[in-house]
Amino acid sequence: MFEQHKRAIRIALGDLFQRPLASLMTVLVLAIALALPATLLALLNLGEQLTSEWSHERTVTMFLKADVDAEAALLLSATIEEIEGVDSTELRTSADALAEFRLYSGFGDALDALDENPLPNHILIHPSEISDNDAIGELVSHLATLPESDLVEYDQAWVERLNSFTETARRFADALALALAIAVVMIIGNTIRLEIATRHSEIEITRLVGGTDGFIRRPFLYTGMLYGFSGALLGWLLVSLLLLFLKSPLHDLEILYATSLPLNPFDLQRLAILLPAGTLLGMAGAVLTVGRHLATIQPE
Amino acid sequence: MIHFDHVSKRFEDGQYGLKQINLQIEEGAMAFITGHSGAGKSTLMRLIALLDRPTRGQLIVDGRNMAKLPNREIPFHRRKVGMIFQDHRLLNDRSVYENVALPLQVIGASPRDSGKRVRAALDKVGLLKKEKSLPASLSGGEQQRVGIARALVTRPPILLADEPTGNLDPELSREIMDLFLAFNQIGVTTLIASHDLALINQLNRPVIKLHEGSIARV
Repeated sequence: MFEQHKRAIRIALGDLFQRPLASLMTVLVLAIALALPATLLALLNLGEQLTSEWSHERTVTMFLKADVDAEAALLLSATIEEIEGVDSTELRTSADALAEFRLYSGFGDALDALDENPLPNHILIHPSEISDNDAIGELVSHLATLPESDLVEYDQAWVERLNSFTETARRFADALALALAIAVVMIIGNTIRLEIATRHSEIEITRLVGGTDGFIRRPFLYTGMLYGFSGALLGWLLVSLLLLFLKSPLHDLEILYATSLPLNPFDLQRLAILLPAGTLLGMAGAVLTVGRHLATIQPE
Repeated sequence: MIHFDHVSKRFEDGQYGLKQINLQIEEGAMAFITGHSGAGKSTLMRLIALLDRPTRGQLIVDGRNMAKLPNREIPFHRRKVGMIFQDHRLLNDRSVYENVALPLQVIGASPRDSGKRVRAALDKVGLLKKEKSLPASLSGGEQQRVGIARALVTRPPILLADEPTGNLDPELSREIMDLFLAFNQIGVTTLIASHDLALINQLNRPVIKLHEGSIARV
């Protein structure tokens, strides 16, 4: 049995290298078909990581009218903290805001040109964990009615928009992955079909000398698995190179959003998923084709 | 060893390949089958090797009923039957060695064991020095001997040869027949289809004459 597997693998490898250019083309097509959804999923994971990070920062910002001084603002901040559904509050005075703006915006010099601080006092309000979006909505409208309030802002709306966008993109990626998986199965199936045709007389003679279906089938199954495996390996390399290419613009994004995007182009975990997936798809393509075509070849 | 009991073979187009054949070939026997082309020689051999199934009657080969043998058992039955063809049926892109080794690979022999048995078989047919050649570089007689080595390398109990000397001159034909005689000497049940009556008559073995699918004379 072991001998027969060794023989089957030797034949499959021989077939792959007998027409190296044609095999390479096939492997490249498979690699692209596997790399496309893998890249999309990698980018989506990154996007989801970002939005989930942001959705934890559920903060209501209340900008105070200019005539509210720091002392009154502190008092108000303490009052708001007592409201049900509020976990904590932070007062940011106009001076704090100015310092922060100077640090991050890069317009520090322009600020020096101003006579007075244009930034208002504002209070950051952190809703308690249990508050859902409706409750926060009510809180926002209540805060807006307070006489000291100039503007109340809640950042969650656009995080939700982003969420629904990534959800749509994920569904698209899943559908694309499914379509391309079918394409991989068909490409490999077709390659195996040609292989069977070129080995017609060998299959016939093997049947004459008492070769079982399994014996005849085995090299083709290994050919399918080899194609799938090689396609996945090259596909992983393509994804890695593409992500490497995106690394520098992503790094700029990291700085802009003061966050970290853990992008690992040569991700081994991705390889650990792609390789077995590719190999299995290759085997599926081979099994489907071999099942249909081998039985039709019988000795004359 | 081979027992035909009222065996008929009717093809899909309604033509009869064999009609009501009764035939008994004992273990270790050697017999010739003659007749015009289309008389049923090949059909008879195809039934023994289970390349076709009988339509009616009973065919017992090595104790097993060919009509009832399940499909998955066919390969194992064929391993007991060495087959030789007029057109050799060699793989032209494989060396002589690889051609002869195929039946051993099918039964899962180890490469070392295979090597010994392939060389022994090639030695018997006198082609030991040609093991690396491709079949196309050999003469017709040599190619036929490769076919014989392949049929016998697994030492099957039954040997079927369909017009093995069809394309050969009388001298080469005699050499091939001598090979079959030698294998029959060591107990291989041998059945040879041939219309080379001159050669057959020299050998003094039972001759079965087929005519239009029936046995005309034994």
